[in-house]
Amino acid sequence: MHSSGEGKKQTKDVPIRAFVSDTVAIPMSMHIGAPSKPCVNKGDLVKRGQVIGEPVGPLGLPVHASISGEVVSVEERLLFGASPTMTVTIKNDFADEWVEGIKGLGNVETIDPSLVVDAVKNAGICGMGGAAFPTHVKLTVGEGKSCDTIIINGAECETYLTSDYRLMVEKPRRVVDGLRAVMRALNVYKGIIAIEDNKPKAISAMREAARGRDGVEVRVLRTKYPQGGEKQLIKALTGREVPSGKLPLDVHTIVINAATSAAIADAIIDGLPLTERITTVTGCVNAPANLQVRIGTMFEDIISACEGYSEEPGKIIAGGGMTGPCSPDDTMPITKGGGGIVVLGVKDAKSAPESPCIRCARCVQVCPMGLDPFKIKNFCDKGDLKGAQKNSVMECIMCGCCSYICPARRQLTAAFKEAKADIMQEARRQKQ
Amino acid sequence: MKLFVSTPPHIRAHEDTRSIMLDVIIALLPTTAAGIYFFGYRAAIVIAVSMLTAVLSEWIWQKLAKQTVRIGDLSALVTGLILGLNLPPTAPWWLACIGSVIAIILVKQLFGGIGHNFMNPAMAARGVLIVSWPALMTAYTLPAVFPGVDAVASATILGDGGFTANYMDMFIGNIPGSIGEVSKAAILIGLVYMLLRRVVSWRIPVIFVGVFALLSLIFGNDPLTAVLSGGVLFGAVFMATDYTTSPMTRLGQSIYAAGCGLMVALIRNFGVYPEGVTFAILLMNIVTPLIDKYLNPRLYGAKKGAKKNV
Repeated sequence: MHSSGEGKKQTKDVPIRAFVSDTVAIPMSMHIGAPSKPCVNKGDLVKRGQVIGEPVGPLGLPVHASISGEVVSVEERLLFGASPTMTVTIKNDFADEWVEGIKGLGNVETIDPSLVVDAVKNAGICGMGGAAFPTHVKLTVGEGKSCDTIIINGAECETYLTSDYRLMVEKPRRVVDGLRAVMRALNVYKGIIAIEDNKPKAISAMREAARGRDGVEVRVLRTKYPQGGEKQLIKALTGREVPSGKLPLDVHTIVINAATSAAIADAIIDGLPLTERITTVTGCVNAPANLQVRIGTMFEDIISACEGYSEEPGKIIAGGGMTGPCSPDDTMPITKGGGGIVVLGVKDAKSAPESPCIRCARCVQVCPMGLDPFKIKNFCDKGDLKGAQKNSVMECIMCGCCSYICPARRQLTAAFKEAKADIMQEARRQKQ
Repeated sequence: MKLFVSTPPHIRAHEDTRSIMLDVIIALLPTTAAGIYFFGYRAAIVIAVSMLTAVLSEWIWQKLAKQTVRIGDLSALVTGLILGLNLPPTAPWWLACIGSVIAIILVKQLFGGIGHNFMNPAMAARGVLIVSWPALMTAYTLPAVFPGVDAVASATILGDGGFTANYMDMFIGNIPGSIGEVSKAAILIGLVYMLLRRVVSWRIPVIFVGVFALLSLIFGNDPLTAVLSGGVLFGAVFMATDYTTSPMTRLGQSIYAAGCGLMVALIRNFGVYPEGVTFAILLMNIVTPLIDKYLNPRLYGAKKGAKKNV
């Protein structure tokens, strides 16, 4: 597999800078789980950090205003392509005033550990590496389960993205603080910060910040996509394998993205809800950057802040080149899980036509899950979902390695995604 | 703004089928050049006819069958080149034609085209030719540059012609044989190129030749002579490594390669043919689906000893 340094050159040495836009469009569904319920109305004046969406259901999370200003609309908007999303749009008054009552809990080493999980929930934190799973749910260790290791995922193996890297270089203490808060909350004595070996600056910065902190160690991983995949990371660091259909907690580990860890520190130490994140803007833009932007900032504003497109855009990826979904246009907002915006030119945006499999075995050799991608793809092409399922298509983690490497340009990952969705739909139908 | 929308990944490796085939052709150039150098223009004609017929056969078939014409992937060119290199320099032009048509139409296209043939097309065609025209297929001449000897029909070192050669001649290619198989030095240059370009791994060629050399020793032959004579090295480097007809997993490839080495040793020592590479590889080609069926990569998270569904 290729080294995951691909596409990072443009931004890896560009320091984080803040950008605040005129308006933000904050969707109520930025996390996995039921969309939050808007609790503000058009015309309301809101302050930064004010709750504008209330949690719904067991995986629910509150949503906060990321700027101060006037609510200009509360309505369904087509922000992610075809499916309308309830969205609160706010016009910035640039006072950037925080809502009253923001109060930190204090030093992560001395706070009452029982307050951590609630604070994380109230701050609206979900996985910022892209998966957007509510973090407080991850931190809730259920009956009969136990956790002995917290892993901070600083691998950032995705192509193009450097936002976690810049965070670790510039704000390493925050990442360690978040880890320590979680370790204390769950009474865990081992915390590992995992970084790929192509990021020496981040490694030394994190080592420096971790010095003298209880149970925290920085571990260096070989640079190899998808090293930062949750299951691959756990295997590399602990030798444990997450059994099929189980969670990391079933092998006594919890994996938290580096940016999420820093957000946890912000929530605990300063009492700040999640209203901003670092995102890498790269590819065909004039000034590639690592921007600290408010949640809900539109892609078009962000790209303007990077001095616009450097050539006609052919594809805009919300995330990295291997796993990021495509944006249908540039009127899409940055969400809590949005680590990057990658603009590809028209030439790179087109995908080559599929040709027949030549059985070169590259897909088998790169699959981190030990699948036979070529075989599963043959079943998918025939519409044989049972065959695909028998060959463990459900274990596919959508890393994209097989499609990336395939010399016949077969769309393996895409076929597996479709097959997985169809199989799950069928399972739901049979349940009813 | 008109944007493309597709499922990730959005980036692809540079290598595609065509570039891989081109790499194989480049890797074959040294041994092609060596063959033409040692055997003269007749060798060049055999190779040219073979390549032309292969590409033409594929083009005509795909046109007639109203399929996408895929001669641009260069796989037919590779097949034609390999078949040509597998023929003796004295082969008549029509033999090369028939061989290429068998390889492309009978072995490749009738089974579904690229990636679907269960035997290596060039190898299978050579097998048919050996059985059908045994005299023509073994009418090896001495290299044209061989000092003081007229280019006369002769047996290979493996036959009973009483021909002997020193290691250096065998390594350089100054011996009778099929056009592409004589120069071991040129074949090894091709192998190094393919390894550097990561077109093939060391596994199949090294295990194939290693097992064969070991067995030759056990059967009382000089292993170096055994390896340097006949088509063992050419077969191990350029034919056993064929993607389509070799197994997908590393372990599977190792077993397959060992099987090839074993079969060549058995045929050479106990069979009626002095050479055994063709039938050894064809036999292991046929075993490949079986190996792939039972040797799957280990599934992440699978319980110890648990078997995947096959």
